[in-house]
Amino acid sequence: MREEDINSKYNITIVDTDVTFKCARETHLLEGMRSLGQKGIPSGCHGGGCGICKIKILSGRKSYITKTMSRTHISEEEEKKGIVLACRVFPKGDIQLNVVGKIKRKILSGQKIWNYS
Amino acid sequence: MSVIKIGHVNLRVLDMAAARNHYENILGLIVTDEDSEGNLYLKGWDEWEKYSVILSPSEQAGMDHIAYKVENDSDLDSYANTIQNYGIEVENLDAGTLVDCGRALRFKLPSGHIMCLYADKTVVGKSVGNVNPAPWPLDVKGVGAHWLDHCLLVCPLDPENQVNTIADNVNFLSQCLGFRLTEQALVGPDADIQAVAFLTVTNTPHDIAFVPGPTAGFHHASFFLSGWGDILKAADIMAMNKVKMDVMPTRHGITRGETIYFFDPSGNRNETFAGLGYLATPDMPVITWTEEEIPRGIFYHSGELNTAFTEVYT
Repeated sequence: MREEDINSKYNITIVDTDVTFKCARETHLLEGMRSLGQKGIPSGCHGGGCGICKIKILSGRKSYITKTMSRTHISEEEEKKGIVLACRVFPKGDIQLNVVGKIKRKILSGQKIWNYS
Repeated sequence: MSVIKIGHVNLRVLDMAAARNHYENILGLIVTDEDSEGNLYLKGWDEWEKYSVILSPSEQAGMDHIAYKVENDSDLDSYANTIQNYGIEVENLDAGTLVDCGRALRFKLPSGHIMCLYADKTVVGKSVGNVNPAPWPLDVKGVGAHWLDHCLLVCPLDPENQVNTIADNVNFLSQCLGFRLTEQALVGPDADIQAVAFLTVTNTPHDIAFVPGPTAGFHHASFFLSGWGDILKAADIMAMNKVKMDVMPTRHGITRGETIYFFDPSGNRNETFAGLGYLATPDMPVITWTEEEIPRGIFYHSGELNTAFTEVYT
């Protein structure tokens, strides 16, 4: 691998919220975002287990590589469609993405510990 | 006849090499065995049974089962009857089904989690031995966790549909297995919904605990350290190793424990827990937290809930 590849940083864009940050190829997208103080992708376990950082990559399969993600949260079909966990995605080029859904799983929500209407 | 302690937790991991490095070199557990199916068996330096953690390779993170130890082999027959009479199906496991254990029982908690009971597991001894022991071993790795302390499980709660598997678990474990409620949080307009529950079979504040969620899951496995200084050093070691920490060193209101929450490389949450809190003898009155004070019960200093802590589990 050439030195410039190792040191490459790519532009990562969260399309819906127009947030852009730089991310190195050895850094996963969630850590890249968090380490620069950026927001947009929910941050959880950073290990591909909890599923909270689910995103859809719009920039194509060649723009990233992935590590193992829990099948509880990402099916093989989803993975093929670019629906992945941001904490297991490492950039190989510039990436455009959107966050999939909102945080739906709540143990105890916000100020109100449990919501009764 | 009694359940005497937590025996082990079986966690599913996505990358065994990374998991092994985490539990062995960072948490400081000792690998005692590895089987042909790729399961790894580990114990803390102060534990005498062969393992308290089983790591199993899987495509899905989370907990496979949790096991508790009973006092006598004959207790297993009595508990099998009690559990069946309560209306929960029990599977009898032959010796060796749980590796290096005698016969065992397997059943589902009302929340859906799998629990096992066993009476015998191979004893390999503490690292410091039983005769004139040193207070701690010199060759301990990483943060040097002493033992598996407890687990916290996420249990379905849906009050509008009269579903409360936290309360169901408390009833079952209290009535059938002799667990004692030490602390609880009561929520809802009439403060009558048991949303958080901590139970013990020993004299420590908890050997198992339950919090609510939309689906059953695994919140964390907790490992004991001696005190606050060890907690700070543990956080240093985690930062040096770039472990993803969820909650920085702080104190719980519930249990009074000193804590750090962090994740293993598959996203299963771990805790290092210090301080024995208080002596939870069977006559201790139950401690209750009100809905407004739950955040302070969980994180005593900030009094604020952290969204990752309450929403993220495997």
